[in-house]
Amino acid sequence: MTVVLEEALPLLPRLRRHARLLCGDTARADDLLQDTLERAARKGALFHAEPGPTRQDALRNWLLTLMHRLYLNQRRDAREALHDSLDEEDTAQPLVHEPQQQVALRLDLERALAALPAAAREILLLVCVEELSYQDAARVLDVPVGTVMSRLSRARERLRQSMSGGEAGRAPLRVVK
Amino acid sequence: MTHDDDHDLDETTLHAYVDGQLDPARAAAVADRLLRHPRAAQQVLAWREQRESLQALHREWLDEPIPPRLTAALRPEAANAPRWPRAWAAALLLTVGVGTGLAGGWGGHAWWHAKQEAAERASAEAAARAAGRDPSVPDYVRDAAIAHAVYQPEQRHPVEVGADQADHLIQWLSKRLGQPLHAPVLRDYGWKLVGGRLLPAGDDAAPGAPLARAQFMYENETGERFTLYVSTGARSPEAPVAFRLTRRVEAGQTTRSLYWIDGTLAYALSGNFDEKRLRILADLVHARIGMADRLPVKPPAS
Repeated sequence: MTVVLEEALPLLPRLRRHARLLCGDTARADDLLQDTLERAARKGALFHAEPGPTRQDALRNWLLTLMHRLYLNQRRDAREALHDSLDEEDTAQPLVHEPQQQVALRLDLERALAALPAAAREILLLVCVEELSYQDAARVLDVPVGTVMSRLSRARERLRQSMSGGEAGRAPLRVVK
Repeated sequence: MTHDDDHDLDETTLHAYVDGQLDPARAAAVADRLLRHPRAAQQVLAWREQRESLQALHREWLDEPIPPRLTAALRPEAANAPRWPRAWAAALLLTVGVGTGLAGGWGGHAWWHAKQEAAERASAEAAARAAGRDPSVPDYVRDAAIAHAVYQPEQRHPVEVGADQADHLIQWLSKRLGQPLHAPVLRDYGWKLVGGRLLPAGDDAAPGAPLARAQFMYENETGERFTLYVSTGARSPEAPVAFRLTRRVEAGQTTRSLYWIDGTLAYALSGNFDEKRLRILADLVHARIGMADRLPVKPPAS
């Protein structure tokens, strides 16, 4: 069990960013991650994976599964499964050392992401940012692969629309690097 | 199923193409068809840009320190364990003794004189620029990349002391560097310690600091190697807790080094692989060293 805990440490920065982008709020995100890790510490014996190069991916997917299950429960509890709460006063993180234009653009993307329905945000973060396979994303979210595909397709279109002010077919967003 | 244009360029396939979910042959076929279907190609481009901008979103958060309450959630019992380095150093002092060699480094702890720092930094940066180097990269990182390039290809004598004498190796290098060192165990990730060696510090060694550096070498089953270079008292403009990446070409091979400073030790992890793999390794190494620091004290083998 200790092995699992120790192995999870290098994953924490990514999991934390994932939670923060998912929740749009650092305090809530850290609570979510803490709940996830506590659950993982209790259930460590349930994690099985062969040692080897894929082990860390397996561990990450398992932790993501725990996190998304908790996230779903939270939304259910708050009866906001459909209308994900979006606090307008959510303060953006201070962005330092960055040219002005990039900051403006990134905030747009960040706001647009935060304004998506939770299910759309989940799928974009899992597939695009964490680069999970569709099968792994389906397992994490406990939905069929077909659902992953349809959610992904809708999420991409919604994000594009909200970033182009709702206009159809406008120029795609610029890459922020 | 037919593989006509319509099928190969349906929406599901294009998503899968953008997300790297197609096998290489299929992806190549799609790429080929996209050349003749500009509308689909534009769609793919837009999705790909969206994907990349999402990936870039708050990448800087990855370098932020993790709040202790989160690591504590993983390991509640570690909270009141005694701190490892100081106790370990004391034990080492008693059992090994520091009469030999670089005793100055022990007593001094004098590698960071605030008064001299600014002036020295300015002159060092000027010298580095004059020599065509990037002054934002600490010199020890360059030394680490060179040492990596020298010893990584070595078949007969890659290390001075092999992993079969791991305890001796760690004690010896710890003593010479005047700090307790750790060579993290990475066997469960397929990397085994080959061993380590003592290296001379470069000309950037701070006054009073040990003149020694340590290099640990790891190897996997396919014979790939990376090295972990440890320096005390390396001068850098500021101590980056975050990982920084640098790249240099030595003997026709690109060596990438990720470097960071943790407490009084500066690390550079160098390898000849891509940034992603290097980052995973660096995360792992950094975490394992952190864990070792939190271990309860055990008496060093004498």
